[in-house]
Amino acid sequence: MRQIKIRMPLVKRRACLLVSLGWVQLAFAQSPEVVSEKDFLEDMPIVLSVSRLPQRLDETPGAVTILDRNMIRLSGARDVADLLRLVPGFQTSMSFENVAPLASYHGGFDGYSNRVQVLVDGRSAFSPYFIGSIGPGLQTVALVDIERIEVLRGSNSAAYGARAFLGVINIVTRDTLDTMGLQASLTGGEIGIRDAQARIGWGQQDARFRLTADRRADDGLAGANGHNQINRVNLRADLRADARTELQLRAGGYSINSGKGQSGRVDDPLRDASFDSSYLQADWRRTLGADSDVAVSVSHTQEVYRDTFPYALVPVDIDGSGTSSSDNISVQHTFRTGPALRVVWGGEFRREKVTSKPLYNTDAALVTDFTRLFGNAEWRLSPNLLLNAGAMAENSSVTGDSISPRLMLNWHVADGQTLRAGVSKAYRPPSSYEKSSDVRYFLNGKEIANTTRASGNVVPENVLVRELGYLGDFPRWGLNLDVRLFHEQINGFVRQLNANPSAPKDYANTEDFPIHGLEYQLKFRPWRDSQFIVNQSFTEIDASVANGVATPYAAPKLASTITFFQKLPGGIDFSLMHQDSGTRTLQGSGLSSRVATTRTDVRLAMPLRVGSSRGEVALVVQNLGAPYDDFASNFQFQRRAFVTLRVEN
Amino acid sequence: MHAILRSLIVAIGLGLFAAICSHAAASVVLVSSERSPAYIEAVEALVGELERAGLLRSDVLQLMASEVASVGALAPKIYVALGSEAADVLAKTEQKVPVLCILLPRSSFERVLQGNGRKTSAQFSAVFLDQPIARQLDFIHLALPAVQQVGVLWGPESQSQAAAMKILAQASGLEVVDATVGRDQLAFSSLKQVLEKSDVLLAVADPQVYNSSSIQNILLASFRAKVPMVAFSPAYVRAGALLALYVTPSQVGQQAAVIARGVLQGKALSVTPLYSQDFSISVNEHVARSLGLSLDAESLRTRLRRREGAP
Repeated sequence: MRQIKIRMPLVKRRACLLVSLGWVQLAFAQSPEVVSEKDFLEDMPIVLSVSRLPQRLDETPGAVTILDRNMIRLSGARDVADLLRLVPGFQTSMSFENVAPLASYHGGFDGYSNRVQVLVDGRSAFSPYFIGSIGPGLQTVALVDIERIEVLRGSNSAAYGARAFLGVINIVTRDTLDTMGLQASLTGGEIGIRDAQARIGWGQQDARFRLTADRRADDGLAGANGHNQINRVNLRADLRADARTELQLRAGGYSINSGKGQSGRVDDPLRDASFDSSYLQADWRRTLGADSDVAVSVSHTQEVYRDTFPYALVPVDIDGSGTSSSDNISVQHTFRTGPALRVVWGGEFRREKVTSKPLYNTDAALVTDFTRLFGNAEWRLSPNLLLNAGAMAENSSVTGDSISPRLMLNWHVADGQTLRAGVSKAYRPPSSYEKSSDVRYFLNGKEIANTTRASGNVVPENVLVRELGYLGDFPRWGLNLDVRLFHEQINGFVRQLNANPSAPKDYANTEDFPIHGLEYQLKFRPWRDSQFIVNQSFTEIDASVANGVATPYAAPKLASTITFFQKLPGGIDFSLMHQDSGTRTLQGSGLSSRVATTRTDVRLAMPLRVGSSRGEVALVVQNLGAPYDDFASNFQFQRRAFVTLRVEN
Repeated sequence: MHAILRSLIVAIGLGLFAAICSHAAASVVLVSSERSPAYIEAVEALVGELERAGLLRSDVLQLMASEVASVGALAPKIYVALGSEAADVLAKTEQKVPVLCILLPRSSFERVLQGNGRKTSAQFSAVFLDQPIARQLDFIHLALPAVQQVGVLWGPESQSQAAAMKILAQASGLEVVDATVGRDQLAFSSLKQVLEKSDVLLAVADPQVYNSSSIQNILLASFRAKVPMVAFSPAYVRAGALLALYVTPSQVGQQAAVIARGVLQGKALSVTPLYSQDFSISVNEHVARSLGLSLDAESLRTRLRRREGAP
């Protein structure tokens, strides 16, 4: 947490400076005390400006699943990765072996998940250090600060760039207005679960702040080297300069300390590793008029990873440590020309730096610059027909230019009935590690091994997505249905070559294959205060099985979850969640690790009221049944019961 | 731009007119609090309607509230005060002819009465700018039939309407979920409390609650909570409220002209102040669309008028 300690006071100082410069004075501006005709006749500033109005779910250019605050609470999940089990097409792992719990869409192809983008309040939070993995980024904020998670299922590179290859996880934190006052929670239970969280929100109308600190701690999977702890702190400030201009400042960081390795493994012994990440972000937005907005966003993120251990057979240290950073600046203009056309366009510059002597055999930073120009037009061809046409032109300083276009047509066939058809193309340039890794070991100054050496003969992989969607709303029966039929043709899939165990590992574009299938989500409210959510995904990955690589099994052919929420008398909440995944390989292992997974969770929560404070006490039992394999066949997700006490004023 | 220019010309014309003609000849004297567009629009509608009824320009004199004291003896048959300041000025001077106050909300009129020790009478009456509670509730019922809980934030100025609102809501099958924002108190917790339990947020004018600096947070919070706002002026709809029910200055001006003509023909002013007979409705179509609603302002207005027995 070293970086955070340095950065937080800086942000606070800046905020204080802004305050003293008069940002908050408006809050105390004398408003007329009595009602007069002025209240009825005077003009008001535009608040819900063009970029503030999100697209409706039946008008988005793709499938979107929303996990809202209520659902997050009712799920009993302790982190975002675990929550994503409830989204059709996702595979998750709760292991910390590869830094943090992981979630991937349409295939856990390896120990990392780098074909999905994760955004936290608009900032890319994937890890440039870990081959673009989203695992650590999913841990950025405390669950209790999340307003909703929007999961865009399907390629979204036309709007979010290379990392949105197969989808986007968009985490939106709560507005500071909704988190004023004090709030705290404590969780304790089996497998050493000891979570704690505290939040304070303060401020006035035009300058509001939130500070949240929390810890997520447990002993992890049975058989694993346990004692995983994530410590986080996040600060957010919402400031308004005038009626048309607002500024949001964010700063924070987290530190993941975990036990890794397996006893008896000389190349992966029991040890402790740590990953620290911190960020600063500023978002400025100005309303230019009723139909036009401009936004500028600047952010800096940095990561430090420490994982070193002595190799048992030869006196050398095996080291995976290093640092990385990313800097981002983007400008976005949203405008409307009449009721039929809304356009978002803008540009972005991003610089990613990765430095690790052990992984790249150089002290120099590997720098990749991305320059992006993007646009999307939402064109209402007729009252019932909406065309979303968008594209992103992207230049990578390492791999060159690419254009990711998307066309999606949404047709409102009848009231509450929408059909969607579209096609998109996306590119994912190889990460620094896939392009330039060079792992060497030296004994007394002499090289004794070169385990990984990326030849650099790897070009961006691409995907051509064709999809059909259906959204049905049947209010009379309390029923909603969301169906996605997809065909995702991946070309030049980038993979580590394992053919010759004695040669250094390399990365290459190995294979073209499609991922195709169907997934749906059915929401049903059969009676008062109840909800059933049924997810099913049928996925086929038509890749080959070669040299222990089990790509066809990276996603189960059939995965289902059924969730039931019921509000009982006295405000008691009852939740029951059941997951049944077909055979698939574990995210950290090869062909031999194929298993099916069944998990049932239950949650019972009772509201509390002590004086003016409100709260809740909840009992959660995860995996009522037998332990199931996670990450490796000798690690098990065993039953765990825990109790959470939450209080807020 | 065109309308403003035209209004200005009319205003200047009226001013010149007043200067040239003998003050004493005017049978209708308009006293305006301000020269801003809304007042000019009301004057324009009022004068236009009187002319259509056969009055001459020389029968109408327009003054600013600040000029009343300095103008010599006038002998009109009726004064029309536009805005709170004009109402207050006329309330202070003992007039022998009826005074009709327009372009002011009910509580402003009541404050004028109280401040000058007057009572509403056939000599001093009003047409209010705010809309009757029953009409507001009918409007919600028509536009958003699924609404059951109506959220209201009361401030020190609007709180007096709370009891009436509750009774009328109950009568029309709605429930009021309300909270009070005290003087010098921020509305955060009250707003949160109300939004949690309501289907719609009905804005009631009170500068302590709704002003150009608080509107940002209120509208954003209500949008986040999927609780649309139904407001009392079209400016709020432009800002992001879903709907507004209001009377335009020109509609008020026309109603005032009809009343003034009645007085000229020997009728008395209504002892009970009136709410506007006509009204307008605004819809923010972008907000409606994002909430999955389809609303048409004109058809809503027709249906609401029909409900009130208008042709």
